[in-house]
Order: sequence, then C-alpha cells, then structure tokens
Amino acid sequence: MNFTFTKKEEKFRGELRAWLETNLPTGWLEGDRQLPKDPQHYSQFLRDWQRALYEGGWAAIAWPKEYGGRDATLMEEIIYHQEMVRVQSPPLINYIGIHMVAPTLMQMGTDSQKDEFIEKILTGEQVWSQGYSEPSAGSDLSAIQTMAVKKDGKWVINGQKVWTSFAHLADRCFLLTKTEKSEGKHDGITVFLLDMHQPGVETVPIVQMDGHQEFNEVYLTDAIATDADVVGEVGKGWKVLIALMLHERSGIAAQVFTLEQQFDRVVDMAKSVQVCGVSLMEDPFVGDGLADLYTRINGAKLNYYRNITHTLKNGKPGPESSLDKLLVSELTKELFDFAMTIQGHAGILMAEDALFDSDMQGQYLASFGATIGGGTSEVQRNTIGERILGLPKDLGR
Amino acid sequence: MDFALSEEQELFRTAIRKYMTDLGKTDIARSIIDGKLESITRVTSGLAEMGISAIPIPEEQDGLGLGALDLVPVFEETGRVLLPGIQLETLALAVPLLNAYGTQVQKSNWLTKVATGESTISVAWYEQNRGLTPKSFSAIAAKTTSGYAVTGTKTLVSVLGNPDIFVTAAQTAEGKSLFLIKASDVASQKILPGIDETQQIAQLTFDQAPAELLGEPGEAAQMLDNALLHFNAALCSSMVGGMDELVHTTTEYAKIRIQFNQPIGRFQAVKHGIVNMKLDLETARSLSYYAAWAVENNTEDKETAVHSARSFVSKAYIKAAADSIQLHGGIGFTEELDVQLYLKRARYYENYFGSVRDSRKKAARALGWHTKSTKQHPVPVS
Ligand SMILES: Cc1cc2nc3c(=O)[nH]c(=O)nc-3n(C[C@H](O)[C@H](O)[C@H](O)COP(=O)(O)OP(=O)(O)OC[C@H]3O[C@@H](n4cnc5c(N)ncnc54)[C@H](O)[C@@H]3O)c2cc1C
Repeated sequence: MNFTFTKKEEKFRGELRAWLETNLPTGWLEGDRQLPKDPQHYSQFLRDWQRALYEGGWAAIAWPKEYGGRDATLMEEIIYHQEMVRVQSPPLINYIGIHMVAPTLMQMGTDSQKDEFIEKILTGEQVWSQGYSEPSAGSDLSAIQTMAVKKDGKWVINGQKVWTSFAHLADRCFLLTKTEKSEGKHDGITVFLLDMHQPGVETVPIVQMDGHQEFNEVYLTDAIATDADVVGEVGKGWKVLIALMLHERSGIAAQVFTLEQQFDRVVDMAKSVQVCGVSLMEDPFVGDGLADLYTRINGAKLNYYRNITHTLKNGKPGPESSLDKLLVSELTKELFDFAMTIQGHAGILMAEDALFDSDMQGQYLASFGATIGGGTSEVQRNTIGERILGLPKDLGR
Repeated sequence: MDFALSEEQELFRTAIRKYMTDLGKTDIARSIIDGKLESITRVTSGLAEMGISAIPIPEEQDGLGLGALDLVPVFEETGRVLLPGIQLETLALAVPLLNAYGTQVQKSNWLTKVATGESTISVAWYEQNRGLTPKSFSAIAAKTTSGYAVTGTKTLVSVLGNPDIFVTAAQTAEGKSLFLIKASDVASQKILPGIDETQQIAQLTFDQAPAELLGEPGEAAQMLDNALLHFNAALCSSMVGGMDELVHTTTEYAKIRIQFNQPIGRFQAVKHGIVNMKLDLETARSLSYYAAWAVENNTEDKETAVHSARSFVSKAYIKAAADSIQLHGGIGFTEELDVQLYLKRARYYENYFGSVRDSRKKAARALGWHTKSTKQHPVPVS
C-alpha cells in the first residue's frame, strides 16, 4: 500500500496549478466566484472558460493525444479532479460532451462523426445534452416511446424527453429513440446525434425545488436527423448506451472530491459561526456529528481509491462505480442535512441573510437531485445487489 | 381507556378537511409564494366562522372553552395542506400565555378578538445569533409613567396575516420579561428570505414602543416554557397532518407510476420505503395525541410527553418529506409537485421554538435523569 504520488505525478500537479493560477477567471482564486445569472451570459461565460481550458490543453486530459487530449493516466485524472475541486473551478459546461459523448464516438462513431463533432466538443463550440428519460421511461429506459421513422431518406422524430439537463444551453443531443416496435426489451432502439437548432425541437425549462432551472422538457415534433447522425447500428442503440455509461467513470472521482470539499465548508461554518459568542464547533453534538461524517466521507474516498487500484490492476472498470455513486450521493444529502440542523433556527434563512456565506440551504435543496439523477439510489442498490453480489433479479424485470 | 379522538372531534376534522379541500388544499400556501398575501385574511375569517379560533378561549371571553385535544384535528388538517399564517402562534402560544398570565383587561381586550377571528397574535422572541434560552435579551424595557417602552430588534418572527399584537420578550431590572406590543407600534419590519416561501419571517425593530407587561417581570423564560407545552403539542399535530398527506400521496403515486411494466409500489425497495414512512407516521400520531392529552389534563408527565413527541415528530417529518421526494423520482425534484413544500415546511419547523436536542434534553430532565444540576451547555443550538 502506498498513498504517495510519484515525482512525475507531482510535476503534473504543479503544471496544472501554475496554469490555473494564471488562467482562472479574474477574481476567482480570491474567492469571487459569481457566475452570471441570466442564461445567455452564463452560457457565454462557461463556454469561454472551456475555450480557455482547451487552449491550455486542459479540456479533456484523458482523451488520446490524436484527438487533442493528453492520454492522461488514471492517476493524473484523479489529480486533475482534485485540483479543479480545490480551486472550485467553474463548472464544465460541456461535461456531457467531453466525458460521455466524445469518448463514445471515438469508440463507435464513424470517421465523419469524429471529424465533425469531436473537436467542437473539445473547444466548447458545441455543447451537448443527453436525452434518455421520458415521462413514462425513467428508471426503465427500455420503455421509451420517442419514435424515429425513416421517410424520404430522412429520420423523422416525434416524442417527448424530460429532465434533460442543459438542453436549454445545448447545441446537440445524444438522443435515445425507438426505430421499431420489437419483442425484446432492448431491441429496436437507436441513438441519434440530434441537432437541437431546428424547428422540430422545443425546449421548455423545468424549475427545480431549489429554484434553479437546469433541466428541461424537450418536445420533438417532426424533428429531422439523417443516417449520418446514427451512432452504431440502427436498432442496436442499447449497446451504444451501455458503452456511453461506462465512460461516466471519470466524473465519479470529481464527486468524491467535491464532497470532501463541501465537508470542509461545513467545518469552516462550524468554526466561524457563533451563537451567543460561542462557535458551533465547541458544541459536542456538532463535533460528534462532523467526526462521524468525516469518517464516512473519508471511507467513501478510500473506497474509491481501492476501486481505482482494482481498475489499474485489471485494466478496466467494474460495476463498483455504482457503490461510489450511491455512497457519495447519499452522503452529500446527509452532510447538508446536518449542516441545516446545526445552524438552528437561523438555518431557515436563505441567501444573503443566511448564517454562513456559502448558502447551505441552497446546497441542501440541490442535494435531493443527487440520489435521483444518473439512476436513483434504489436502482443503484439493485445493480449492486445483482451485479456485485449476484442476487437474483426482482420478478418481472 | 380510549386512545382515540372523540366523535365530535372527528366531525370537526371532517368539516375542516372539507373547508381546506374547497380552498384548493395547498393553493393557499402557493398563493403566498405568488405574493398574494391577502388570501390569509379570508382563511382566517373562514376558520373563525367555523369556530376554530374560539376553541382554546374561555367561555367568559366568548370562546368555546375547549382544550388541547380539540385542537388536534384542527392542526392536523391545517398542517395537511401547509396552511400558512400564524394560527399556531396565536392559538397555541399567545392564547395559552394570555389565559395563564393575562390580566382581566388584557384577556377581555385580546382573547375575545381572537375568538371571533378579528385578531391574530404572533410572538417575537428570538434575537440575532442568540438561542431560545439566552442569558439576557438585548431588547430593553424601560419603565414609563403608563407602563413600559421597549427598544430592540427581534428576528425570525412569523408575521403572515398582519398580526395585531406581538408577544415579545425584553430585559428589565428584574430579568427577562414578557410584553404585549401593538403591531402599529413596531418601528420597522424587514421580511427575510426564508427556506419556506409559504411563510413570512421578519425582523422587527422596536423603538420606545409602548408595551404592556404580561405576567410577572423576570418570569419570561418560565412562562414561555409552560406555554411551549401547548405550542409543541399543536406543532406536532400540524406536522403529523403534513406527514399523513405525504404518506397518502406517495402511496397513491406508487400505485399508478409504472416502470418495468409494473407499478413501482410492487418493488420492495419502494414498498418498504413507504411502509417505513407509515410506521413513523403512526408513531408520531400516537405521541402527538398523547402529548395533547397530557397538556389538556395537566398530567405529571406532560413535559416528557410533549418534548419527546416534539423531538420524534420533527425528525420524522423531515425524513418523510425527503423520502417522498426520492420515491417520486425526477418529478419529486421539481417545484411543480407539493412534496418539496412539505420538506421546506418541515425544516422551517425543525428548530421553531426549540430544537430536537432541546426537546430531548427537556424530556430527559423531566424524567429526572439530570437530578444534579449539570453545567449548562455553552451553545444552545436552536
Ligand atoms: C438533477 C437531475 C438531472 C437529470 N438529468 C438527466 C439528463 O440529462 N438526461 C436524462 O435523460 N435524464 C436525466 N435525469 C433523469 C433521471 O435519470 C431520472 O429521473 C431517474 O432515472 C429516475 O427516473 P424517474 O424520474 O422516471 O423515476 P421513476 O423511475 O419513476 O422512479 C420512481 C421511484 O421508483 C423507484 N424505482 C423505479 N424502479 C425501481 C426498481 N426496479 N426497483 C426499486 N425501485 C425502483 C425509483 O428509485 C424512485 O424512487 C435527471 C434527473 C435529475 C433529478
């Protein structure tokens, strides 16, 4: 067992730190981390940030060199995420494009798809969303009803998607459709790289319980795609989807480190917030609860390291990422629940009147999305039970 | 033994439930989010017409002279629809204070008006960064020729529906004391952004506000402690009402939401989740009924009964709402569904006039587990 990083890895960290210090948006490192409020400026700000990452060679370090990446090792990826979280870098607007769509295209896209999309994804010129969920297909994606029908050589797509994150900012959508009504649950599904800037695509924002509008409904009315937009084979989209989901890996790392950093903020709050002249931290209940959370969050991180080691030794990731996702999202909810409780009555105040500068109330409300989005905790438990423990499936699934 | 509400009490429930349904259930709460604050006045007079606001008021002041148990169905049903406003503060905190400590004049001035729905009362107790039990208040009450004048700032005051008076606490030479101050004598009021947008919380400033002493000077803490038994019993009922609605809507959703070709309620993960909510709900209901009974009958164990109920129900309400969001999946994370409103209300109440820890401590003390005077905890977390 050895938890130290190699000289080469530390050199990599140093390089990234130096770059961040000169290239983060003005005022960012000093703590002024305001993102523009209106969607237009927000989008432009984040696109500019991604462009800067691209120009510095930091937009997609895990990608192969031939596509503009650095062929980074898994350890370098981890360092990268640690550093990004450390400076609380602006979010990556094209997260879906970089971490999921492009790697999938490298693996199963046509040459012309690679030419057309990969560079634009890297530069931030083209932002992506993923359209899987529908009103009656959430946990069970095989129940999608959005239909793509071939007419006069083009695909005509009709249906409705829901909870599509970033669709209101996106140029393209990685879209799951049905191209034939078939017997097998996972047959007849086709993935399209849909152009969202066309008359048949209407995006309606949905307000979340935390007041933000990050996900959307997407209505598809005679939207058009061509054969060139099909990923993999027609009717074999399920395979493409599975491949894409395996690329989610690197995102998980950032979640563990973000959680660690959020925990540190709660500790800062406990140290600095005073009630009746005494800091919260001096209350044994607070210390006790934080120690418990610290231990479990640290456990989740060490679990993650252990899974990484496993991946490094075996050359490929296993279903353990379900464990990481489940632990991290549930712990995030617990952390902010505790942060609310220890603030006492003043914890009901939001925004500028909140007890502590970073709005724990807002983060608490946002945390409810974590155990639903990307597969619910119940579904993760099913996966762990069935794929890791080998338990039999629920009847009927 | 008969551990149930009486037939009359259940009839009351039916009537209020119908009234709330006619008003569109959570529509009233949502109208507050939309800034339509006047909808509260209509509800207050509607409730008064049904006799609700007269329940805890003695017959001499035109009330019904009923007790804490009669408020159980009322607050369960108003809690079920997240009725905004200060019914709890008025009927379960200010009224018990006035009943117990008010002078004849104070009673006939205020209780009669509360009974008819003409007046509502709120409580301005908290100060910035001080807990429920500060050593002293920074708000000062100075003696004047006609009574007292209070100067100071209070925060986290529930003000929806324009209360006519505030019960407030201020420092006198004799110690922490309670006062009545007319709303028209409040120097300034600032609404604060709160997690529960269906309520309004404010910071109030008093500048030499004419104030009537309530009860004996120096007795504020003791008086509030006694009144809080009524308040917490009522608060528990309100939270139980909310939980009941959560269990109901979650169950109904699990019956109709189809995934993997079957209602999600067929999955044990979902079924067990809802069953656990139900177990908590029934436990909460039993504890809250008993707490109200103990208050009404002034039993020896009333403090244990009330505070143990409060500590359990506060937590269970938050958990029920959180689990309900989870079981609704993506739609549960939206503003469209009411579940999130229940979660925010549960958090709003979590530390309202005392935290879970305060309640546990009080229950333990009442059980005699702290016979030796132990060192006071440095940080009152509420
Ligand atoms: C913040 C956020 C962002 C999202 N972003 C996207 C996006 O960009 N693109 C996209 O396509 N989707 C997105 N989603 C949708 C997300 O993937 C779905 O909400 C999720 O998969 C659950 O589906 P559902 O909402 O239909 O809930 P349902 O599937 O209806 O689930 C309801 C409840 O039933 C439970 N349940 C369902 N099936 C089972 C089972 N077999 N066993 C046990 N319990 C079960 C669930 O766990 C849940 O508690 C996002 C969701 C959120 C909250």
